[in-house]
Amino acid sequence: MVEERRILYEHLDVPDINTFDVYRQHEGYTRFEKAIAEYQPEEIADMVKDAGLKGRGGAGFSTGEKWSFVPRDIEPRYLCCNADESEPGTFSNRYVLEKNPHLLIEGILICCFAMGIETTYVYIRGEFTLGKKMLDAAIKEAYEQGYLGENVRGTGQNINIYTHPGAGAYICGEETGLIESLEGKRGQPRNKPPFPAVQGVFMKPTVVQNVETLCNLPFIVGNGVEWYTQMGPTYGDARFDPPKADPNTGTKLYCISGDVNEPGVYELDLGLTCTELIEVAGGLRGEEVKAVIPGGSSAPILTHYELDTRLDFTSLTLAKSMLGSGGIIVMNETRNIVDCLLNIMKFYAHESCGQCTPCRWGTPWVRDIVQRIADGEGRQTTITRPKFGITESGRWGDTGETEEIYEDLDLLESVANNIANVDTMTWNTICVFGIAVSWPAVSYMRKFRPEFEAAIREGKLVTLPVAEATVPPEENYAYQQRIIPKEMTDLE
Amino acid sequence: MSEEIIQIETPFQFNEENKQEFDELIGRYPVKEAAMLPTLHLAQRQEGYITPAVMKYVAELLELSVMKVKDVVTFYPMFFEEPVGKYVIRICHTLPCALRDCKVVLDHLKSKLGTDVASETNLAKGTTDDGKYTLMKVECLASCDVAPVIMVNDDLYKNLTPEKIDELLEQLPS
Repeated sequence: MVEERRILYEHLDVPDINTFDVYRQHEGYTRFEKAIAEYQPEEIADMVKDAGLKGRGGAGFSTGEKWSFVPRDIEPRYLCCNADESEPGTFSNRYVLEKNPHLLIEGILICCFAMGIETTYVYIRGEFTLGKKMLDAAIKEAYEQGYLGENVRGTGQNINIYTHPGAGAYICGEETGLIESLEGKRGQPRNKPPFPAVQGVFMKPTVVQNVETLCNLPFIVGNGVEWYTQMGPTYGDARFDPPKADPNTGTKLYCISGDVNEPGVYELDLGLTCTELIEVAGGLRGEEVKAVIPGGSSAPILTHYELDTRLDFTSLTLAKSMLGSGGIIVMNETRNIVDCLLNIMKFYAHESCGQCTPCRWGTPWVRDIVQRIADGEGRQTTITRPKFGITESGRWGDTGETEEIYEDLDLLESVANNIANVDTMTWNTICVFGIAVSWPAVSYMRKFRPEFEAAIREGKLVTLPVAEATVPPEENYAYQQRIIPKEMTDLE
Repeated sequence: MSEEIIQIETPFQFNEENKQEFDELIGRYPVKEAAMLPTLHLAQRQEGYITPAVMKYVAELLELSVMKVKDVVTFYPMFFEEPVGKYVIRICHTLPCALRDCKVVLDHLKSKLGTDVASETNLAKGTTDDGKYTLMKVECLASCDVAPVIMVNDDLYKNLTPEKIDELLEQLPS
């Protein structure tokens, strides 16, 4: 059985770890002290790049690389910490904010030192009232102790952290939506480029990082790159010759919910399989796994055939899904996939910001189609095509081949693919919300097509047994490229 | 926007404490507009909901048009433009909570409070006649491990069952 490796969450349950004194007793701020004493800012940025830290918020973009896009000659530069944790199935940031806010502050300090940033805004979702209270209190303590404010610890650098409450909009978790919202406007994402690294908040260079990403920084600095890269697999990216290293290093705060016996946050090395994770989370609640959502509700679903997929950025991308924010939702044999899709589509229809037409109209349309299928009113037609062959009378002629067409399923796929095409990975919207809508819509429908067809045929929701509800692996569009070839894993 | 268009009977103003907090937070941003969300949160805490008078006041404070403030208020689900009950009950109904039977909790709340669920454009629909509770469905509250969850004003309640709801409602001071 896979063991938990608690690094970010190591001291989470220590009583009063949210206070400065107790945090200090548990190596608190020593990593920041080490950073300013032993390294130049650029060296820290290089370490983060070498460590292969990938952004934990959803996109999985290399943090070091992101930092390298920030022009260091334009002042001021900003850091926005994304604590707008709204992806269904994700809840790891909440515990950091509520229980160990000083760890986040230390991460922010290291990032500010490395990038020469003076002002940080922590965008906390409006519902996290306790988290905001705890972080505000910790920030106050840090000011009193001289870790924030003017000339921090004799570095000559001023560092300020401000918390900024959101107000319940999912889209503000998208980095440019967050920036717009922070500027006091509607949280409607901006076109990229220019990327936030060049023109972000107040049109100045901005680093946007998730809470979990920032919390990794103290450990990279404190324990070194070598220690960090030992955790998690590093693959070779075969698109390059020779294969370029594709690191999936470090631990991940896997949030597991749904049909498992012990839902919660488990900190594990990247790269374990779905089956292993379910085992760590106390096993399945129920008889059989029907489906697993691997990275928050936006991620394409995995069937029970795909449970050996490793939960890391590279493997899930190959499986045409994503690790996203690491929110894993497990569903057992009693769940109806049409019903689950309906729930998710209601979420997206509610949360579309309304800026781009394909998403504003397409998302409610997809919801309505799924609603219609769930209500037993899904559309189905029988069409007759001319087909030449030997007819019943023994002559050569039109045999009148008939075919059952599930009109609504074709419509569903067509509408979803016109918001964002899941096969070509192109979207007709400004931000990736579009793909977050069509990914679940298309993947649920393709991978659990028998259940959708049954609902239309029978005129009501029918929960089929797992084996019947799932399309076989050979018909699964995502199954083939799923396993990482051996030569990619043998980089050495 | 001029006063002829928006009829304001009683003007709104921050109380002493909130004025202080506002003065402190306006200094955090290089442009005043950026203080919009925290300012609206403060105002809503004082007034209960965002009235036209609040919007006008906030617009004056931040040196913006009232329309710009309204634009923001209508975008975010946490700002109310109608009066709400003393206790705002937000129940999560997204997938992880749905897998843990949030519907049972919702139905129980509905029958217990004798009210429907508020919609964003009609908060009165989910408010009890005595003005004590407003019941609304919200999207994921990021507590899927302890589903089903509700928030009563600023507090989160976890692993709910109909029995726990009964207990909770009794504990709330009237």
